[in-house]
Amino acid sequence: MLELCHISKHFSGIAAVDDVSFVARPGEVTGYLGPNGSGKSTTIKMIIGLIEMTTGHILFDGKQIGDDLREYKRRTGYVPEEPYLYTHLSGLEYLTMVAQLRRLPVQESTTRIDALLQLFSLHGDRHASISGYSKGMRQKILLIAALIHNPDLLLLDEPFSGLDVGSALMLRSLIREMASRGKVVLFSSHELDTVERISTRVVILHRGRVVANDSIERLRSLMKAPNLEAIFAQLAVEQDNEAIARQVADIIHA
Amino acid sequence: MHKLVEFMPEEFRLLYRQFFLRIVDLEALSAHADVIGYLGQFAGVFIMLSLIHALAAYIYVSGGIQLSFAWHMEQYLIKTMMLVTGLFAVLTWDATFPDKRDIYVLSPLPVSSHTILSAKLAASGFVIILLIATLNIGSGLAWPLVLGLPLGGWSGVLRCMAAYWCTMVAASLFLFCSVLTVQGLIAISLPRRASLRVSAVLQLGAFVLFIVVFFLQPVVSTRSEFASPANYHLIDRSPTYWFFGLFNWLIGTLPEELNWMAERAIISLGLAVLGATSSLAWCYFRTMRKILEEPDIVSVRRVAQKGARLGNSLTFAVTTFSIRCLVRSRQHRVVLAFYAGIGFAIALFCVKATTAGGSFSLVTHSIDSGFLMATAVMMSFAVVGFRGCFALPISLTANWILRTTQIQPSESYIRATRRCLLLLAVGPVWIGSAAFSVQLRPYGPAALHLLVLALLGCILVDINLRNFYKVPFTCSYLPGKSNVQLGFWVFILLFVPLTIAAARYELRALSHPGRYVWMVSVLIVIDAALLISNRLRAKEAVLYYEENPAEVITTLHLISGPLRNGSSE
Repeated sequence: MLELCHISKHFSGIAAVDDVSFVARPGEVTGYLGPNGSGKSTTIKMIIGLIEMTTGHILFDGKQIGDDLREYKRRTGYVPEEPYLYTHLSGLEYLTMVAQLRRLPVQESTTRIDALLQLFSLHGDRHASISGYSKGMRQKILLIAALIHNPDLLLLDEPFSGLDVGSALMLRSLIREMASRGKVVLFSSHELDTVERISTRVVILHRGRVVANDSIERLRSLMKAPNLEAIFAQLAVEQDNEAIARQVADIIHA
Repeated sequence: MHKLVEFMPEEFRLLYRQFFLRIVDLEALSAHADVIGYLGQFAGVFIMLSLIHALAAYIYVSGGIQLSFAWHMEQYLIKTMMLVTGLFAVLTWDATFPDKRDIYVLSPLPVSSHTILSAKLAASGFVIILLIATLNIGSGLAWPLVLGLPLGGWSGVLRCMAAYWCTMVAASLFLFCSVLTVQGLIAISLPRRASLRVSAVLQLGAFVLFIVVFFLQPVVSTRSEFASPANYHLIDRSPTYWFFGLFNWLIGTLPEELNWMAERAIISLGLAVLGATSSLAWCYFRTMRKILEEPDIVSVRRVAQKGARLGNSLTFAVTTFSIRCLVRSRQHRVVLAFYAGIGFAIALFCVKATTAGGSFSLVTHSIDSGFLMATAVMMSFAVVGFRGCFALPISLTANWILRTTQIQPSESYIRATRRCLLLLAVGPVWIGSAAFSVQLRPYGPAALHLLVLALLGCILVDINLRNFYKVPFTCSYLPGKSNVQLGFWVFILLFVPLTIAAARYELRALSHPGRYVWMVSVLIVIDAALLISNRLRAKEAVLYYEENPAEVITTLHLISGPLRNGSSE
């Protein structure tokens, strides 16, 4: 179980994440939502240990993640928001390097990489340099790299970005499958329809603070909203989008 | 030049600034990088060299040295100018040609091809002007004064000065344009992917060629030597002599029978300029479209590679990653070639200097101080070169994968980096030296030297990796941190005499077993001490991926005050 207890991150006095607490349980898919700049990626980076939190603590299976960070990293898989990869390597070379860094046995990692590349339809291009890969192909490499060691905690930051329809549908099923096998899955996305379909519960962040943390059904009934989009609009959207759209059109037309 | 640019159209000015700044790769920089200061250090080295060249003019006057010394210096100054321009051309290999990134960014904008081309040429041209000015600031005044006064007083001085600067500009322009011509011909004649591969090999070849020519080309310093049929082929094929001829023709001191050298300089300059402009124009107006049309991904068929395992999985990962970075990154290859080329040139110079009569031959049958110095120099440059490359990141944004997969203690990574440096730098130089030693007789001293060389390699690796708590190619780099000017003079004044003294000592020790045992014991103790000290420090070490604290990076260095000291509020 992943527990975030009052975590905050301040950048020179400005709170990017402010007193965030929630729990993500094994077997559940937790959707992490929020508008741009609300602190979603910063939170995920703190959970993965890429940046330090200013206050608060994070527990995984009851232990502070900083107590044995290496063991924690061994059990964690992470897909970052941006598909930053070593583009001078081929897809196969990159995944092999990740497997080696994770100390997976050679035979096992070779078999897994080969099978995963087949399943993600990348096998034919495994020897091509990542610099030539499309955004979707890079995203698939990130997903394989995050799954290859069978992590207990899966952190996915915008995992659907750049994926084609077929791959996105497969990823939806995969996320549900991982959760059903007892993994803790936390994922952030702007695709509210997808989040609504696969999440057990959602955490909505606005200006660095948690404004909702519950199952979608309960949120629907509490807020008397028909769907997640309406809930999100009530909690995290302050602007009149139609008015802004009209203003944009007016400016470029002038 | 900058003032001149102000009169140009706005899009030209914008592009010129971008291309000028790109001569230093922005990806390798961090928040505190002092690019101007860094380039200023190179300028400082050139100015100092120029003042030393000017001092030689003073020696020429005060010592009453003959004309042959003046001819010797003239050839040396032209050769140095061509070497510096050549190195610049190699280091900025792709800077003048259309680049995929430029094409994708600029093609959708209303910017014409000739504006891009002229902005790129202006950026490169400005740097070449700076090179010529800094490298000749002292010698360009002193030598015309010395050579011009006997030719007709102050008018002779002015004529000589004009000739000097014209020759330097012409020699520089000839070399730069020749490189551009060859690159352009390759780009035009080969398919794009093949041309990129050939171009990468050519870049390193050009680098080695320039260095080797500089150090090994003999000086022809008398009229009889120039007239000698034995030297005809050398003079006929070497542009340094043509521009030497041009200078003397301009000041009126070239013997009539050598006028062909000056003519050849002018013709070759014209051809080089013509070749460069036409191939550049062709590339900008024709190959730009080819670049846009090339497919993003090309299927590669490769037979499964099963190489030998190098140590544990971490060492294997670090080593293969490092090899791939070096092989596939042009920037890193050039930096490594820079060190290797200079090391190779000094090694050749050592061999040449210690050979009787200064004649050069790679075939030697007995161990001498030149061989010892050459191998030690190559070892030092290989280790320092690889260490320098390790510090340059290949993609800063991608290093998160190493941070999130660090499931082993930092000391394991530090040990893997050490093994990687031993394997990539010490191994090849040692094997090369061993292969070269096969021809030496008796073989005993050569074998003993190989042991010393291996120990030297280990010591250099342990010194160079002190406080280097990084995974190679993954941490940000601050160019302003390394003091080029200081390093250059420390090298000249400390490293060279130390190597000579050490080689002489080793040569004596190779024939005295007691002294040899003492020398090897000292080296083993030094290396063991360094190794133990580094391992103890590594236990407490934390790997780092940024030269600056995370707060400075994440706030884009917009906040000063307490954050500069790395404390977050």
